[in-house]
Amino acid sequence: MTYDFLIIGSGITGASIARELSKYNTNTIVLEKENDAANHATTANSAIIHSGYDPDPNSLKAKLNVEGNKLYDTLEEELDIPLFKNGAFMVAHDKEEEGLLERYLQRAITNGVPGVEILDQKKARELEPNLADSVTKVLNLPSTKVTYPWEVALASLENAIKNGVTFEKNKAVKSIEKHVDYYLVTTEDGSTYQTRYVINAAGAFAEKIAKMVEKKLPYHIRPRKGEYLVLDRRVKGFLQRTLYPTPDEKGKGILLVPQYHGNILIGPNSETQGSLDDVSNSKGGLNVVKEGALKLAKNIPFHQNIRTFAGVRASSTHKDFYIKESLDNEGFIHVAGIDSPGLTAAPAIAKYVVETIIQPKEKLNVNEEFNPYRRVIKLYDDMTAQEKEQAFNEDSRYGNLVCKCERITEGDIVRHIHREVKSDSVKAVKKRARAGAGICQGGYCEYQVIKILARELGKTPLEVNYFSNHSNILKSETKVKK
Amino acid sequence: MKPYDLVIIGGGAAGLAALKGAYDEKLKILLIERDKTLGGILKQCIHNGFGLHHYKEELTGPEYAERGVNEVLGLNVDIITDTTVIDVLKENGTFELKVINTKKGEHSIHSTSVIISSGCYERTRGAIQLPGDRPAGIMPAGSAQRYLNMEGYMVGKKVFILGSGDIGLIMARRMKLEGAEVLGVAELMPHSNGLTRNIVQCLHDFDIPLFLSHTISDIKGKDVLESITISEVDENFEYIDGTEKSFDVDTLLLSVGLIPDINMFDSLKFDVSKKTGGAIVDQTYQTSVEGLFACGNALHVHDLVDFVTEESTKAGEQAKAYILNNKKRSNNMISVTPSSNVSYLLPQTLDMDDEFEDVILSLRTTTNAMSGKFHIYQGENLLFTKKAKFVVPAEMEKLTIKKEMLKYKGPITVQFEVVNV
Repeated sequence: MTYDFLIIGSGITGASIARELSKYNTNTIVLEKENDAANHATTANSAIIHSGYDPDPNSLKAKLNVEGNKLYDTLEEELDIPLFKNGAFMVAHDKEEEGLLERYLQRAITNGVPGVEILDQKKARELEPNLADSVTKVLNLPSTKVTYPWEVALASLENAIKNGVTFEKNKAVKSIEKHVDYYLVTTEDGSTYQTRYVINAAGAFAEKIAKMVEKKLPYHIRPRKGEYLVLDRRVKGFLQRTLYPTPDEKGKGILLVPQYHGNILIGPNSETQGSLDDVSNSKGGLNVVKEGALKLAKNIPFHQNIRTFAGVRASSTHKDFYIKESLDNEGFIHVAGIDSPGLTAAPAIAKYVVETIIQPKEKLNVNEEFNPYRRVIKLYDDMTAQEKEQAFNEDSRYGNLVCKCERITEGDIVRHIHREVKSDSVKAVKKRARAGAGICQGGYCEYQVIKILARELGKTPLEVNYFSNHSNILKSETKVKK
Repeated sequence: MKPYDLVIIGGGAAGLAALKGAYDEKLKILLIERDKTLGGILKQCIHNGFGLHHYKEELTGPEYAERGVNEVLGLNVDIITDTTVIDVLKENGTFELKVINTKKGEHSIHSTSVIISSGCYERTRGAIQLPGDRPAGIMPAGSAQRYLNMEGYMVGKKVFILGSGDIGLIMARRMKLEGAEVLGVAELMPHSNGLTRNIVQCLHDFDIPLFLSHTISDIKGKDVLESITISEVDENFEYIDGTEKSFDVDTLLLSVGLIPDINMFDSLKFDVSKKTGGAIVDQTYQTSVEGLFACGNALHVHDLVDFVTEESTKAGEQAKAYILNNKKRSNNMISVTPSSNVSYLLPQTLDMDDEFEDVILSLRTTTNAMSGKFHIYQGENLLFTKKAKFVVPAEMEKLTIKKEMLKYKGPITVQFEVVNV
């Protein structure tokens, strides 16, 4: 069998393209090297749906950012994704930065960002009492939103699967051979796939994949790491809006970002590194993040810090997104250099790939059976009293509270294990059902999650992984067993 | 259904003692436990050393728990297990507890008073911002203890431990006895955070090195932990270059602090101490919410379970008196605050009503001392001084404020003067 489209990578970009292609009658497959979808940059970013105030107006980033921001409202309706419409302030501390606010106000207007205006400090403080005392003016960016990034990727991918796309995980691409009218893609485990098009949505690994086909590359990936602190969701109410500093040459800067579930993210810094997947934290990096945050707000409840993490941006030497078919290898489509605002732009990137790159060459027939809707598997804690009662009556495991910090029940965990894209690690459960995402970080519930995973997947607890394959938490049984 | 007079939340050492203290045949009492059986964390503490003060003999954790359970078994009270409290509200003088279990789902229980005896949880890697990779193999020591002693699994074969809290020390010995190699324990502070007897019996007796003024400066490992690096720290806890030592390990256990587990009571908005992480209480263990009491590790983290039992029995007795005598708080409250070299103390407030009796203060110092003096002041006036020997932050100190000492008005402060380091 020959696929029409083979997408490499199931991050937010690959998942969005898969869903877009499932609107047409195509034979599409997504390959993911990890044991879960959305495992790299899509799980480690600021979660912001940016308004589009900062990209150069002539760039693809500007166009796809503003379009993508609007498309998230459609995604909210169709895919039932979490969307927190909290707005944002870009803050200025002196005349020079106030000048920058003016510049970004003009740029935002040029880029078509709605509702932007500059507010004086009095008005700004009424709206955000915890703004740093040094803030003099702010640029109000009301169309800025926050989402739950991996849920958007999972929802898009699961909806694509429902509409006919094939998804295979644990499939790291090893080689791509160009034949006369197809590509032969071989993965590390020896599987082979014939496909007419290859869509390279491999994030930080895009250059590595592209080199399997291309002799010359118009871009190089320059990974940039960003470190973050996460505050517990009990800080909810400390801040409503996302706070940005004025941008510098490294990007949007260190932000304070209230999350959908009430947590606050603080970060990221920006450090270029050689490694594509080094997501370690450093004392220096986290200190830079804390110092940056203090310029934005006062009274930051740092003592409510529950976690640190880091992500790698798939930045490229091209600066703008590089979304083009190869000049030398027909049918090989680059979707590379997807750094900020990649999350925001993803649904618009997907449309751009299909409508601007593929459709001029390929007649795609509309999939009459395409169902754009997906409903979230509601967590017990998010249910109404009536829904809770009904859920419990159907399955008493909704009465077993496993994660007490986030109030996640066994009923929630079981359902999120058996989703269209299954969970087979403790982290995959945490991504979907939030078990272990609270103050004790799984200290209380991890052993229960391991037991549930083992039972549901027909494994022994020794075989249950923390996240990646070969990351089992339990190493051996003790000599004496009950 | 008639509301309960008292609901006790948590059936570990604290809850069991509180139940015993509060018991009166006139009262309708309920104890709620989230685990399948009573006993709390004691059940996973299979080592000995418990009970020397309270029972005057040396017991293991499960034995200590069993005694506590046996003491309440015959009592005419309700006990439900496998049930978790999700939220607690107070309206018109009555507490509404939202609880959940697999028998009845989510439902409400009403009570005129509540005792918080829900224990504590372990501080995590994220909370102390450990640098490096984030592979499998890094976990709180108590989690590893649960896996090993309750579930029957080893979490690794080559172990390093960060933090010299008692659980860390106990787990160093436990992992060693179970066949693991334990390469060392690093402690950020220049002194150990655990009981002296645990340093001797768990580390010295097994030749496990203790690195004081050291912390983890790097962690390596892609899927599972491969190595850690420790560095010595200066007085500002900054790494000292050139002092790095690396260890190839598959397990890093964290014993870096315990925090009262009281988030299910957030809706009640009682005053919480930044120092202890638990409620601010008066000498009756009553919080700033009337009818709400707290004791055990949910109030402040104890060094010995014996003191948990002692404190919680009293909290139970006070709750009983509160219900039976329908006693309201007076308007004459004064504060008790720690001053130099004292990290925290309890109770933080005193109700100076007519029935005021002697109060025992529990406190911890910030420094070690071979000998020193505690001074208690009311306002500017020195009430009394007590000499103390071999004072360490890891061990709780007790001071009694006698009724006749309180001749003055105003807040009370307690300080510790180091005589010999």
